[in-house]
This record gives sequence, structure tokens and C-alpha cells, in this order.
Amino acid sequence: MSEKKKILVADDDVQLVDSLRTLLESAGYQIFSTYRSEKVVEIVKDVAPDLILLDVMFAGESGPDGFEVSRVLHEEPALKDIPVLILSGVRKVMDLPFKYEPDERWMPVKAFIEKPVKPDVLLGEIKKALEL
Amino acid sequence: MKLQTRFLAGLLAVFVFMALVASLATILWVNRNTIQEAQNRVELQMQSASDLFQMNQTRTHIALQALAESPRLREFLQAPEEGRIDLPMRERLESVRVKYGQDILTVVDAGRRVRMRGRPPFNRGDRISGDALIERALLERADVVGTVLLGPERLKMEGRGLFEQCLESGGEPRGMLAGAAVPVFEDGRLLGILEMGVLLNGSTGFVDRIRDGVFANATFRDKPIGTATIFMGDRRISTNVVDGEGRRAVGTRASDEVRRRVIGEGMTWTGKAWVVDARYLSRYDPIRDPDGRVIGMLYLGELEDRYLAIRTRTVFQVLGIILSGMLLTLVIASIITRHVLDPVHRLSLATQRLSGGDLTSRVEVRSGDEIGELAGSFNVMAARLHEREAELRQKQRELESVNTELAATNRNYMEMLGFVSHELKNPLASAIMSLHTVKDGYVGPLNEDQKKSLDSVAGSLDYFNDMIKNYLDLSRLEKGELAARRTDLALRRDVAAPILAGLEREMEQRRMRLEDRLPGDLVVHADRDLLRIVYDNLLSNAIKYGKPGGSITLEARSDPEGILMSVSNQGAGIPEDKLPRLFKKFSRIESTAQSGKKGTGLGLYICREILEKHGGRIWAESEEGKSATFLFRLPRPGDIRMKEDGHE
Repeated sequence: MSEKKKILVADDDVQLVDSLRTLLESAGYQIFSTYRSEKVVEIVKDVAPDLILLDVMFAGESGPDGFEVSRVLHEEPALKDIPVLILSGVRKVMDLPFKYEPDERWMPVKAFIEKPVKPDVLLGEIKKALEL
Repeated sequence: MKLQTRFLAGLLAVFVFMALVASLATILWVNRNTIQEAQNRVELQMQSASDLFQMNQTRTHIALQALAESPRLREFLQAPEEGRIDLPMRERLESVRVKYGQDILTVVDAGRRVRMRGRPPFNRGDRISGDALIERALLERADVVGTVLLGPERLKMEGRGLFEQCLESGGEPRGMLAGAAVPVFEDGRLLGILEMGVLLNGSTGFVDRIRDGVFANATFRDKPIGTATIFMGDRRISTNVVDGEGRRAVGTRASDEVRRRVIGEGMTWTGKAWVVDARYLSRYDPIRDPDGRVIGMLYLGELEDRYLAIRTRTVFQVLGIILSGMLLTLVIASIITRHVLDPVHRLSLATQRLSGGDLTSRVEVRSGDEIGELAGSFNVMAARLHEREAELRQKQRELESVNTELAATNRNYMEMLGFVSHELKNPLASAIMSLHTVKDGYVGPLNEDQKKSLDSVAGSLDYFNDMIKNYLDLSRLEKGELAARRTDLALRRDVAAPILAGLEREMEQRRMRLEDRLPGDLVVHADRDLLRIVYDNLLSNAIKYGKPGGSITLEARSDPEGILMSVSNQGAGIPEDKLPRLFKKFSRIESTAQSGKKGTGLGLYICREILEKHGGRIWAESEEGKSATFLFRLPRPGDIRMKEDGHE
């Protein structure tokens, strides 16, 4: 197997990041993580992940939310092709139109995954996004 | 004061009716009485007239008796007839005749031969026949008083002017004499007869005396109240009725009716008769000669106008009394009713004030009657109302404050619930992630028992997750955070498809088939996010409770009332009696078919709330053992009764 795919997990929930790390590493991915949204772009530039799992709402009021982060990523030509999966507790049916009404701005977002998510679902989405 | 007016009007009506009846009765009564009275009076008057007539003759009679007793007369009668005229005797006779106002005074011997007359030209020597007075006196050897008829020859013999007088007063060559005949005796031997009398034809004194005696010669409106007339046969020969030219109206005849009745039958006649120019209550009595033959009539008339005037005056007096009585009664009644009705009036005003909202309105009535009781009851009632209202206000204030508190509590509760749920979501998400990571063998193989245990934990966590999701929806809904923002939505593309996409995997797991019969172009007017929750909840239920391997059908169509949508699944269905309770908060279907699949009891309630926010509704139908269908309707945009934003 070639080099492991790098996945950046950006979520403020420590437990979730831990369990995601356990799952994803067992599935053969290399995991980077951050609890703070404002660090995401910096880390992306640093490690160049193959995929980003991005939460929407982060604790604290200072940092940008997940949507803003993905917009920033989209605006950086070097970064705009890295697929982003939104992983959020926000109920998608109510608040998130983009997945089904595609918009240029959200192009890096390949899928919206509502928490909680089952491992096989998540892995399926990740695999799908990486293959594109 | 309306009541008083009505009362008085009623009283007045009764009075007017009574007055009419009383007046009518009075008029009838007065009429009858007056006429009766008039008749009675005429009878009495006639009696008086007859008495006067008699009295007149009685004077003549007494004068004659005195003369008959005189020795000088007896001597004269016993003296031989031939010889010189006894001039002193003749003077004496004439002076008696004149003194008593008589027309004739005649002395006859027992052979009816005239010995001497007391009236110029003092004819004598003739023989008198057919004089009922003389005949009766001779026959009965007694005094006779009465009225007799005298023929033309006799009149001419009796004295100068008498025949002419008769012709002038009625045009008949006969005369009617009222007088007396007295026999003269000498030691029981009849020597002769003295006859003296008044010729009634054209005489005025006689009838005028009657009139004056009976009617006192009074007048009424320039007309004499009463008149008297003497008829010879049916012809007026002496009267005080005056014709148009001021002359005494003699010479005319009585009516046929009167003649037949009085002359013919010898009866009296009573009635009304026109005399010259006025109506008179009249009475005719027969005048008989000493033999009982009817030879004339005595008439008395009394002016009817006078009775009419009396009658009218009486009627007016009685009516006046009735009217003033009525007026007085009305005045008294009005005072009484005012007194009686005043409390009613005050009660009415107080009631008006009360009904106008012034609960302090009271009425002051101290009378001990029903009205007093009524007023008392009114005051008690008003006081109770006042108390009741005060209590109500107090209760309402309490209720309002409780409501406010409750609303605040509810909002706080919901906010807290939302917060807690949200805070629970993340740990739960990581727990589920970890659990499944272990359960699905990503971190190493598990034996069956371990897997079974973890499956059960996973089920609980799923339920836990559902519950949190629903509570979050509910808390947002009840906080009013989810107001219905309606837009036109393509039902399939904007609402159903995204939800179906999210549920694909679960359907696959349960090997369920989707029958999507939604028309591609159907547009609904609704809040997109809320309608998505409805579809999410209904489809999740269909997947959760539907038969594994069965189908789920989506339908929608436009009808006159709006858009009718449905979600149905094959499976055990829902018992008929449970259907109505489905949409209540925390209502759960408990049946063997659903055992092991616990719902939160909130999903359908949330659906109902959302549809009601849109002015629509939701209901369920089921064929037990086969299928369950949830139908819901959204009204057309124009028909939406705004329930949105009104939700508290």
C-alpha cells in the first residue's frame, strides 16, 4: 500500500476527535487534528491533507465557523481542490442547503454528514470523496 | 315615565268608555224621565184646568143660588105674566149678570117660557126648548152646572151681539155656554128656572184664566209656556194661542185624529202637536153637556222646548259631573301611580346603570310592598354581582400572572432543554462513533455475546439520539424560533429529495422499496425547513415501523382545498382506536408489532404543530395488519388562516 492518505479532523469535541482517530487509523488513514477552527488553514498549508473533516460550530466565539473556513479554503487556489466533508451536529434538513443546491462557493464540500454518524457511513463518504 | 303614561292611558280609555256608557244611559234616562214628567204634568195641568173651569161655573152657580133665594124673584115669578115690565127686577138681573161677568141671565117659568132676561134688549115671552141645563134642572128639580150648545135663534133672543160674537169667533152660528141652571121654589112648588152663563165663543177671560192659573202666564224664549183652547165640536172658539199677526187663532179645526178620538170616542188625546210655530206637549179633554153628550174639547199645551231645554241641561249637568269626576280620578290616579311607579322608575334607572357596567348601582326603595322586595332583591343581586366581579378580577389577575409565569417557565424550560440537548449531542455523537467502531470490529474482533451487548447499547443510543433531535425541534418550535416563512417550493426537489437522500442508507438496511409518486412539478407554499422536518419524521417512522422488505409510498396532489400529501408504509398498521391519539404529545403506539422500537412520542406531535402553523392539518389512516398512511394537507396560499407566529 502506498503512502497513507492524510485526513485533517477539525472538531472542538475532544472525545469525538479521539474516537474518529481510533476509527480512521484502524481504517488505514493518517490523522491530523485540531480543536480550533482558526488553525485549520494553517495546518492545511502545513501538512497538505488529502481530505478535511470539518465541524461547523466550534466552541468559543473568536474563530470562524466551518462554512467560513471552507470558503477561505476555496478561495486559495492551492487549497481549493482538497475535498471537505462537513461533519456537524446541526440538523442538515433545516440549516444546510448547499449539498443539494450546489453552489460554487461550497465546491470543496463534498458531503454533509450529520452527527452522530455510523462508522461505515463515514468511511463510505470518505472513500467516495477521495476517489473523486 | 313610560309605565305611568301607559297606565294613565289605560285608565283614560276605561274612563272614556265608562263616560260614553254613562252619558248614553243618562240621555236615555233623562229623556224618558223628562217625557214621563211632562206627561204627568200635562195631566195635572189638565186637572187644574178642569178645576178652574168648574170653579168658574161654581161662582155662577153660587150667584144664581143667591138670586133664587130672593123673595123678590119668587114674587116676580108668581105675579101675572101680563102687565107692565118690572123694571127694578130687570135692573137687578142685569146688574148681577154684569157683576159676575156673565153673558146671559135668563128667568123662565116652569113652562120654559122666558119671563125676563138680564141683557138688552131684554127680550121675553119666548119659549126655550132643548136647553139641557134648563131641562135637567126642571127634571131633577135641582141645580145643574154645565156647558150647553145654543142655536142661532136662541142666541139672537138672548141678547144683542151674541150671535155676531159667535160668527166672529169661529164662523159658526152656534154658541157654547158655560153656566148653571137653578130652580126656584115656593113652598116646594117649582116656580121657574134661573139660567146664567158665559158664551165661550170668542171669550178670552176664560181661557186666559186657565192659562194664568196653570202656567202663570210664563214665557220661554218669547213663547208662552202654556196655552189653553176651547173647542166647540172640533172648532177653536176661544184660545190664547196667537197667530202670526197677533190675533187669537180661532176658527180653525182640530186634526182628524184628535176629533175622532175625543169628539167621536169621548176619550182624551195626549201627544205632541204643532201649534202655530212650536211643538207643544198637548192634551185634549172632551167637554160634555149635562146629558153627557160631547159637545166640545178643552185643550192644554205646554211648550216642548222647555222640556227639551230641561233635558239638555240635565244631560249636561250629569255629563259635567261624570267628566269632572273622571278628571279628578285621573289626577288622583296620576298622583298615586307616580307615587307607586317612582320606585319602579328608579329601579329601572339603577338596572340601566348596572347593565351599563356600574356595579355599585343601588336603588333606595323603602316601601314594604312587592316593589320594595324587588328593590331589595335588586340590591342584593347588584352587591353579589359586584363581589363576584371583584373575585373574578382577582382570579383573572392571578391567572394572568400564573400564565405569564408559566409561559416564562415553559420558555426557560425549552431553552434549557434545547441547551441541554445540544450539549448532549456532541458527547452522544462521539459515544455512538466509538461504540460502533468497536461493535463493527474496527479495533479487533468481538465474540457474539459482546456484539449482542453492544447492539443493545447502540439501540439505546439511537433512541437517545432521536429523542434529543425531537426535543431540539420541539424547543425551537415552542420558542417560536421556527416561524413559518413560506415560499413557493418544488415539493419533490426542495423538500422530499434531500430527506430521502439522507435516509437512503437506512432504507437499504431494512431492504425497503420507495414508491415515489410525487408529481415532479407540484409546487407547495410552505416553510421549507419545517416541511422537511415533517417529511423527515414521517419517513423515519415509515422506515422504523414499516415491514422490512416492504414499500414506502409518497403521494401528493392538488385539490380544491389545497395540496394533499401522504406517506404510507406496509406493515402492522395502527389500531383504529389509537388513531386519534397519535398526534398528542408523548403519545406512543404500543403494540406487539412495535415492541422493541421505542419512539419519543414527539415526532408526530411536531408534525401536527408544523402543519397547524401553516393552517393545515394532519391525520392518519390505517388498514390494520396491512398498512399505515399519514395524510396531511396544506391550504392554498389565499386560504391560509394565519396561525403562524401566533404560536406561543
